[in-house]
Amino acid sequence: MCEVRVAPSGPDTYRSEYPLQNSGGVCPRGSSLAELLSCRGRIVEPARRVSDRWVPVDLQSACREIIRSAAGKAVTILLDGNVAVEQLTAAAAWCRAWDGASLCLVGAPAEEQMLLGFEGSGAKYLDNDGLSDCDGFVVIGDAFSANPTCASAVFDRRAGEPATPLVVIDAAAGKASKFATHLVALEPGTELGALSAVIRAAGADADVPAAVLAGDDTSVTPSAKVAGAAIAKCRKLGILIAAEYGRCNAWRQIGFLAGRLAEARGGGIAPQTHGANALAAVRLARKLGAVSLASALSSDDTVRVAVGCDVLGMLGLQEPAIPAVAAALPNVTSESAQVVLPVAMAGEIGGTYLSAGARKLRVAPLLPAPAGVPEPAEVVAELARAAGASAPVGAAEALAGEPLGPAEPSAAPAWSDPAPLVLLLGRQAMHAGCGELTAGGSWQAVVQPEAELRISPPDAQAAGIDNLAFVTVRAGANAVRARVRFAPELARGVIVLPEGLPSTRRLVPSSIDPDNDTITATPVAAEVIAGE
Amino acid sequence: MNETEKTSQDSQAQERVVAKRVLIDLDRCIECQSCAAACYFSHANMPALSSARSGVALLPVVCRQCKSASCVETCPAEAMIRDENDVVRRRLFRCIGCGSCARACPFGVLPNVPTGVPAGYRSTDRLSGHQIAKCDLCADRDIGDTAVPRCVAACPSGALLFADEHEAPKEHLAVLGGRTTGEHPYKRR
Repeated sequence: MCEVRVAPSGPDTYRSEYPLQNSGGVCPRGSSLAELLSCRGRIVEPARRVSDRWVPVDLQSACREIIRSAAGKAVTILLDGNVAVEQLTAAAAWCRAWDGASLCLVGAPAEEQMLLGFEGSGAKYLDNDGLSDCDGFVVIGDAFSANPTCASAVFDRRAGEPATPLVVIDAAAGKASKFATHLVALEPGTELGALSAVIRAAGADADVPAAVLAGDDTSVTPSAKVAGAAIAKCRKLGILIAAEYGRCNAWRQIGFLAGRLAEARGGGIAPQTHGANALAAVRLARKLGAVSLASALSSDDTVRVAVGCDVLGMLGLQEPAIPAVAAALPNVTSESAQVVLPVAMAGEIGGTYLSAGARKLRVAPLLPAPAGVPEPAEVVAELARAAGASAPVGAAEALAGEPLGPAEPSAAPAWSDPAPLVLLLGRQAMHAGCGELTAGGSWQAVVQPEAELRISPPDAQAAGIDNLAFVTVRAGANAVRARVRFAPELARGVIVLPEGLPSTRRLVPSSIDPDNDTITATPVAAEVIAGE
Repeated sequence: MNETEKTSQDSQAQERVVAKRVLIDLDRCIECQSCAAACYFSHANMPALSSARSGVALLPVVCRQCKSASCVETCPAEAMIRDENDVVRRRLFRCIGCGSCARACPFGVLPNVPTGVPAGYRSTDRLSGHQIAKCDLCADRDIGDTAVPRCVAACPSGALLFADEHEAPKEHLAVLGGRTTGEHPYKRR
C-alpha cells in the first residue's frame, strides 16, 4: 500500500506528507489524497432534489425516502468493490437480511475480466520483490502509469542486467514503451492477437489452450517474432498488466493467456489495478452471492443505489437511472440522482486489503471520516433498517473458510473479434479510475486543466493542427475539448486521450451485454477538429 | 577588510556547496510527475519543482544548487542566500518578486514569473503570488542523514536520487550538469 501520510496544513485542512526516506514512492494520486479528504466540495450531509435545488435531510429520512420511492421493487446496491474486505462482507450481510435486496461489487469491468482470466490460469501473483529477480518482462497496457511503483522493480533488475528483455504491448505507446527493448506493433483493439503472436514466437503455445490463442502462425508479425524470441529462454518471466479501459473486449482471454505464459516461463503476473482491493472483490463476489454489474444495470425490475462508486462516469454512460447515490464528492452518477448521501472515502476506511494475490494487509485509516459521514457498510445498514431489516445475517460465515483464496480455475474463454478503431484512452499517473475523486485535485487542475490529446506529428500535420493547439475531439454524439501534444512514438491513425476524466470516457461508452453478462468498451472512430 | 581579504572570502563562499543534491537518473524517469505533485502539495502555493517538456520527454526541473550561484549574486534584495547548511534558498520576506534570479539562472530552473511556471502554478495568494519559488531541499525535514527532500521520497521509480554527485560513478552513472545518465545520455533504454 501507498506510504503517504497526512499532516495538517491549516485549521481544517490537510496535506500529504512523505516518509523521510524513499520507501516505494508516492504517486500524484496519493499526493492529492489528503487535500481531497478535506476539500470544499465534499458531500457531508444527505440531500434530496426538490426541483433544481438540493434540500438537506437527515440520514434516516433520506434512507426512508429511497425505500419509499422504490415502491416495493427490488433494490440493488452497487457497492464500490475496492473498499476493505470487512466493508464488503458487512454490506453483504445486511443485504442478506433485507428482503428483496441484492448486492453488486463494482469494479472496472476490464479489470474484473482480466483478474478472472488470471484466476482461471492458476498463475502466481508477484509483488515488487518477486518482480525484481525476474529475468524478463512483458508489459501489457501502460502499467507504469497505472502504478508507477511497479517500474522500480523492472529498473532495479535492469540496472544489474542491462540486457534483460522488456517486451511492451501497448497500442497507445504509453510510458513503458519508452523503455522497451522490444515494442510489439499492433493495431488498436488487437492486444489479444499481439499477445498470442508473442506466445507463439516464444514457443510457449504448447502450454496454452489452442482455443484461446488468436490467429495462427501466419499472423506472427516481425516485431512479435523478435519479442517472442527475446523471452523464449527466460526462466522467470514477470508480466505486468494494466487492463486499459476501452481498448478491447478480450481482457479475460488476455489475462488467461498472460497467466499461462508466466506459468510456462516460471514466473508470475503483476496486475496493476485502479483500486487497492480489486482482486479481493473479484474473489468475494461469488462467495457473497453478489450479482454482476451487467445484470444489475440491465434489469428493469430493480431500483439501483450506488454506494461509493461513480458507475455512470466509469462506463461513460448516462443511463440507466440510478436514483440514489452515496458519494464523497459530486460525480457523474450523483449529478442525475434524486437523493445523495455522504460516504467515507479512501483514506478514511481501515480494514483488510489483498495484495499480490495472497498477502492480506491490515490498513489503518489516515483520518477519521467527518462527523456524521458513514462508512459504505453503514450506508447499506441504514438502508436495510429503513426497509425493515433488524440485524445482518451471516457476516461471520462470509468471512470464514478462507474467502480470499483463489477462485476455482475456469474454462478457457472463447476468442471474439475486437473492433480495430482509432480513439484510445490511456492511463495517467495523476488520475484514478474515471477521475471521480482526482479530477477535483488542485494540482491536477493546474497541471492539466484540459484533456491532453496525444497524436502523431504526421497525423497532426495532415489535419493542420499545431502542437499545443486546442482542438475538439468528436466521437459519435459526444465531444471534448483537448490540448494537442505531439507524440512521435505513437503509430499513425491512433489518437489517445486520458481515461481519468468522465468527459473522455463518454467518447468511448461501454456496452452492456446481459446475455453474456459482460460490459465491454472498444476503440471508436473519432474526428479531430482544429480550433475550439 | 582590505580588497585581498574580501576577494578571498568571496572566493571561499563561491566554493561552498551543499554536500548532496537532487540528481535525476534519466534511465528511470517515467514522467509520472510524482515529484512535482509532492512539491506542490508540500509547498503550499509555491512549488519549486515542475516538469518541463523537451522534445518528447517530460522531465522534472530541479535546482542544481550551483557552486557559484548566479541567483544569489544577482538578487538585489539579498533574498537569495546560501544558508548555514550551504543550501541556496530564498528568504520569503525579502523577496520582492523582481525576477532577477530567474533571468540569471543558467539552467532555467527558476520560474520566470513569480511562483512557478506560467501554465497555472501562479498562486492567487497575495503574498506568495508575488514571489519567486525556489527549492530549499525541504529545509523543514532535517535533510541530511535521516531524510531526503519530498520529491525524492515520492519518486516511485527511483529516478530521483539525493546524493553526492561524486558518488554517482560508483553506481555507473555519469553526471551531466547535475543530472545523471546511464550509458546513453539521450536514449532511454
